[in-house]
Amino acid sequence: MEQLLCLEMDTVLRARPDPNLLFDDRVLQSLLTIEERFLPQFSYFKCVQKDIQPFMRRMVATWMLEVCEEQKCEEEVFPLAMNYLDRFLAVVRTRKSNLQLLGAVCMFLASKLKETRPLTAEKLCIYTDNSIKPQELLEWELVVLGKLKWNLAAVTPNDFIEHIMRKLPLPKEKLTLIRKHVQTFIALCATDFNFAMYPPSMIATGSFGAAICGLQLDDVDQALLGDNLTDLLAKIINTEVDCLKECQEQIERVLVSSLREGQQQQQQQQQEQAGPRNKALDELDQSSTPTDVRDINL
Amino acid sequence: MCRTMSTINKRILTALGNGPTRRRLFGPVDREQLREECRNQLRKDLEDASHRWSFDFATETPMVGGDFQWEGVVGPRVPALYRSRLVGSADARRPGASASRAASGPTDKENVPCTPTRCQTQPQNLEMTPEKNHSQRLKRKQTNITDFYQAKRRVVATSRKSGQ
Repeated sequence: MEQLLCLEMDTVLRARPDPNLLFDDRVLQSLLTIEERFLPQFSYFKCVQKDIQPFMRRMVATWMLEVCEEQKCEEEVFPLAMNYLDRFLAVVRTRKSNLQLLGAVCMFLASKLKETRPLTAEKLCIYTDNSIKPQELLEWELVVLGKLKWNLAAVTPNDFIEHIMRKLPLPKEKLTLIRKHVQTFIALCATDFNFAMYPPSMIATGSFGAAICGLQLDDVDQALLGDNLTDLLAKIINTEVDCLKECQEQIERVLVSSLREGQQQQQQQQQEQAGPRNKALDELDQSSTPTDVRDINL
Repeated sequence: MCRTMSTINKRILTALGNGPTRRRLFGPVDREQLREECRNQLRKDLEDASHRWSFDFATETPMVGGDFQWEGVVGPRVPALYRSRLVGSADARRPGASASRAASGPTDKENVPCTPTRCQTQPQNLEMTPEKNHSQRLKRKQTNITDFYQAKRRVVATSRKSGQ
């Protein structure tokens, strides 16, 4: 009986992709029109925050990603939570001692918006090593909601994945793998503050560029070859080729440094118990051979 | 069954405790300061909202000289959606078959604005603000300003939308 229950708990019923939403270009155009409304207003490290440094954002982001991973959250929960975090930090000066609470609140909200079985306040508090209490999380939920003006349905890079995917001449059998890589790149971007002000569509297309390039799919179709691909991607989201190219290169740079960091951590942690470390490293290692991944960056 | 579920939940929660993901990132949290800051932020939000809507939400009274002018509306003319409902009444439990639903017209949707149009045509019926219901029973939802006041007109013609 208990086993049965456990199995039930892992099953999330999901609707099939809706062709009315995915095959209608108006949806993509609407996403492109509204996406900038949900970007943080300022580069807040310069003009709002005093206590909080960029590396602290990375720390809290890494922790949030690990929690989302461990709890098997939907892919868009983490990028959405980071969007909330950045928008809040752009308007409210925050102490670093409250940053983890803020991260937990943002995951709480994003999970409630996107998941059929959302994260509970209790679980999130445990993940902070009980440094906060559920009651405090709920109180701050209201504060964060107020500062976000209750605008929670922000556009994330993940919203663009299927729209972009169906416009590229990709081999059918690789779609799952490509989607996974793109999602990983998007998550990676969300951990890095340099991408916080980029439009989500730019991050999505940049991630596609990096993923397709990394998976060396360019021998499949001429259209997937370097510049051809960038042109195609830029056309899909009506952006400048140069901006997109710059974005993709930046993503690849972040991947390199993240992999390097992951390797160092791995060496340090070799004696310690194995656990979730760096999502980019773990996932890429699982879904392709490690040599593939390293080839991207050489 | 219920017990099984809760023991499983408990086990999952304890299992979380041992992974490396469970960690405190930035040292101890000052609870008192946290609560203070929370209160301050909420108060600030309330002040901003009061300013924005020319309505003092703390005392639930209209303010003078803002973008809005508020006028009282008699109880029965408040759209059914905005009336306070009571916990435990048949009304709250089965809204589909309730008396207040019947009064709101034939529509099935509860978010359709259904202010009766005669509201505007009979200004002489606008009376004093109804007293707040201080009965012992619990209200199902929090009181809204629209329970008592109706935005009569906008003095300043801005195209600002709520939430911006």
